[in-house]
Amino acid sequence: MKQAVILAAGEGQRLRPFTVSRPKAMLSIADKPILQFIVEALARNGIRDIIFVVGYRKEQVYDYMGSGEQFGVNITYVTQERQLGTAHALSKVRELVEDKFLVLSGDNLIEENTIADFAGIEPEAVLVKRVSDPVRYGVVNIEGGAVKGIVEKPKEAGSNMVNTGIYAFTRDVFKFTDAVLDIPDVLNNMIAEGYSIKALETGGTWLDIVYPWDIINLNYAILQNIESGLGGTIEDGVSMKGKVMVGEDTVIRAGSCIYGPVVIGTGCDIGPHVCIMPSTSIGDNVVISSFTQVKNSVIGNDVSLGPGCFVSDSVIDKGCAIKGRFTALGGQSEVRINGESPSINIGVIMGEDCKVDSNVTAQPGAIVGNSCQIQMLKMISGRLPDRSLVY
Amino acid sequence: MCGIVGYIGQKRAQPILLNCLSKLEYRGYDSCGIAIANGGIEVFKDAVRVKVLAKASPAMEGKAGVGHTRWATHGEPSQINAHPHCDCAGRIAVVHNGTINNFLKLREQLTKEGHTLVSQTDTEVIAHLIEKYYEGDFIRAVEQALGDIEGAYTMIALMAGENRLVAARKDSPLIIGIGDRENYIASDVPALLDYTSRVIYLEDGDIAMVSADSVKVKQNGAGIAREEHKISWSMEDAQKGGYEHFMLKEIHEQPKVIRDTLAEYISAAEPAAALTGPEGGGLEGTLILACGTSYHAGLAGKYIIEELVNVPVRAEMADEFVYSGRITAGSRAIVITQSGETLDTLKAIKKLKEEGCRVITITNVVGSTATRIADQTVYTRAGPEISVAATKTFIAQLIALYWLALPYSRVDVRRLDDLVLELRQLPVKVQQVLDNEEIIAGFARKLAAFDNVFYIGKGINYPVALEGALKLKEISYIHAEGYAAGELKHGPFALLGSQTPVVAVVAQDNTYEAIVTSIKEIKARHSPVLALVSEDDDTMVELADSVITIPRIDPLFSPVVNSVALQLLAYFVARERGCPIDFPRNLAKSVTVE
Repeated sequence: MKQAVILAAGEGQRLRPFTVSRPKAMLSIADKPILQFIVEALARNGIRDIIFVVGYRKEQVYDYMGSGEQFGVNITYVTQERQLGTAHALSKVRELVEDKFLVLSGDNLIEENTIADFAGIEPEAVLVKRVSDPVRYGVVNIEGGAVKGIVEKPKEAGSNMVNTGIYAFTRDVFKFTDAVLDIPDVLNNMIAEGYSIKALETGGTWLDIVYPWDIINLNYAILQNIESGLGGTIEDGVSMKGKVMVGEDTVIRAGSCIYGPVVIGTGCDIGPHVCIMPSTSIGDNVVISSFTQVKNSVIGNDVSLGPGCFVSDSVIDKGCAIKGRFTALGGQSEVRINGESPSINIGVIMGEDCKVDSNVTAQPGAIVGNSCQIQMLKMISGRLPDRSLVY
Repeated sequence: MCGIVGYIGQKRAQPILLNCLSKLEYRGYDSCGIAIANGGIEVFKDAVRVKVLAKASPAMEGKAGVGHTRWATHGEPSQINAHPHCDCAGRIAVVHNGTINNFLKLREQLTKEGHTLVSQTDTEVIAHLIEKYYEGDFIRAVEQALGDIEGAYTMIALMAGENRLVAARKDSPLIIGIGDRENYIASDVPALLDYTSRVIYLEDGDIAMVSADSVKVKQNGAGIAREEHKISWSMEDAQKGGYEHFMLKEIHEQPKVIRDTLAEYISAAEPAAALTGPEGGGLEGTLILACGTSYHAGLAGKYIIEELVNVPVRAEMADEFVYSGRITAGSRAIVITQSGETLDTLKAIKKLKEEGCRVITITNVVGSTATRIADQTVYTRAGPEISVAATKTFIAQLIALYWLALPYSRVDVRRLDDLVLELRQLPVKVQQVLDNEEIIAGFARKLAAFDNVFYIGKGINYPVALEGALKLKEISYIHAEGYAAGELKHGPFALLGSQTPVVAVVAQDNTYEAIVTSIKEIKARHSPVLALVSEDDDTMVELADSVITIPRIDPLFSPVVNSVALQLLAYFVARERGCPIDFPRNLAKSVTVE
């Protein structure tokens, strides 16, 4: 297979506040957008001709991925103006694809090992994975190595093999993409028409982000495998342990401790006397002031954290300006979402461009929307909509 | 002002030359041509775009050649005037970038001596001069020909039967790309990036003999070694990557450009304060010089420095300064040029150096001429800007000016801390403006119907209004004028009416009341008003006909977000009018002529 189609037009509403300004495929894990993981996995398996179907906030994809040359691939863009489903998205590439091609969802984080065996397979085929909670996904019923049917979010799982959203198709698939909205239905219809769809199981990485707090778990998982690299300036008196990646033009000032695995972007100013604990990702142009500790968290680009902050198990999106003594510690919390109340261990989930005054405390599980302003000495909990003022 | 290329090596020259030319079109694109040495000299040229020429040209064999893409200065665009130009015998072909001041005299002389010149261009005389002096030594003939020329003669000459190209540089830049048993010559780096990242920059007065295996450079008759550089831009920098136009792509790059430009400074070994010389000294009496959009950045720089440092600063147009400006010996000047090659600006630097001034240049191109004649250089890290209308380089220049001024600030230290933090937040604020582009596009569609538009601003946003109007002029061809808001009532009001909309940049600073008053006066004359307004503002929504909401930000940094909004406005107006946005008529990217 020489060509792949990546469906990256979706919004990912359940991932708000982070998906208000970017599509789900552009969420970053360990300072890398999901789309980049997918593109790199394809390139490492020799597939360099890639078609992106984009839609929601497509400029975010253009800005980062560009022509693809930076990643050793060639990218063609197709726009799905209205997000009507994955089959509808696939139908948009009809004029551009060759006889055989892979189709991947831009939602799931994969690595080279995920598709190593799948990249050369003869269509039609679907990549499946064994998971412990199949009812969240599309469960695949397999008989004799071929798919019998796919059932989305069944009440009872017949098996624990789920659909990874990665397929190998021929141009025949376009006979079926007009009639239905989603690709699993396309497959079910193809099976009814007598097509034989192979099922191949992968033992490789396949990670799904459904809710904002999934970002922390994925960040942890990916960071276990990073490589060290020291760009920028590390002053004397800085202590580093474990795998630490520091970007160009970043300054780490004296007295700081960076205990890996940690990724720090470019142009950051960290310290003096800052502690970055495992497993933390910090973006570009971030300022972290003295005596702040960040642990098991994801800090976006352009964030400034004042002195004396404690942040753990949290996600803080880009551009937040947080003054001193901000506390967001991880703890057990019940978060209401979509009618469910899972109990999770989480600090704060904060959207982009928030202005937080000094001595603010966020209770575990607090979800702060984008562009909120919080005055000093406040305690925040629950869910704050975008543009909230807390005073 | 044009782009020239040359190739000599083991491969067919034609496809290589055409590809290089397509990358140089931002320097000029009203006509183009190539000449290939193949026993004799074969020339194919026309007043068309490179893509069209490529399709129309016959297969030309030969492993050495020169090419040219043109922006007319002498002689209208036509096939006859297009380069390359040849001598009478058709054995010499020349491509040239620059203006020859005495070409009429030379042309007269050559005609008297029996040469036939067929075009109206100055370039043609070079080919005939080489022919005149040729007595078996190609190099010598070129040297003598160039000796007769007054003016800018950056050129490449190709001769039938010679296994070398001869290139010379005076004023306009010329770069040699080093390959494996093949060498490339081009006006600028992007043309070469497909083939090599090893380059040699030629200096003024250099004459280079380029064969497939070697590059020899002479200066003043003596051999000289020129350093090889490695280029780290990738071709990905120079492609549209999903966007319909380079301009829109470059507008969207601005958050990243701001971040990159800041990163360059924050970790720099030398803080900004050291730039003003070992004796230190503040920014008092600084003169800021530039042309075009860079001048608008310079004007904003004046307001920035005056606001932060509380000292008087002058900002002037470089070309005016060259002819009539005065400066105290020993003063300090900041000269801004995106390309580092703008001729008017380079002349200003030379004049300043002659007066004993200390010159800091702000530029986007590493190794450009400005960096070599100024005392210190501050680089903007915007990457190559393909669109002729400057967008990201303007914003990057503003960032450079903030960074230069902040260490000298005499504002309260707490305000200074807040300012530094807010400067770092700019990428996010700019991204918010970009995320709002659909709304701006909606207003643009309405604005596109008008023929005359006024832009007004006050204080630090006065240059923003000037720049906003310039963008609209450049790419949508609507007549737009920028004014300081208070000036309209001193005359231009006579032009206002329902057919002259006004775009007003409203900042939350000490100019707020005054500009609100101006807008009321404008509304009284029935002009539609489109206002750029901070999200905190409640009043303007009632007053203006349309409002573009800008994220809240310290007024000092408002020019950055306001300018981005006005770039988008101009872009969508131009798109609505179907204009060729990246390559507007009559304009070229780097103006290396007077």
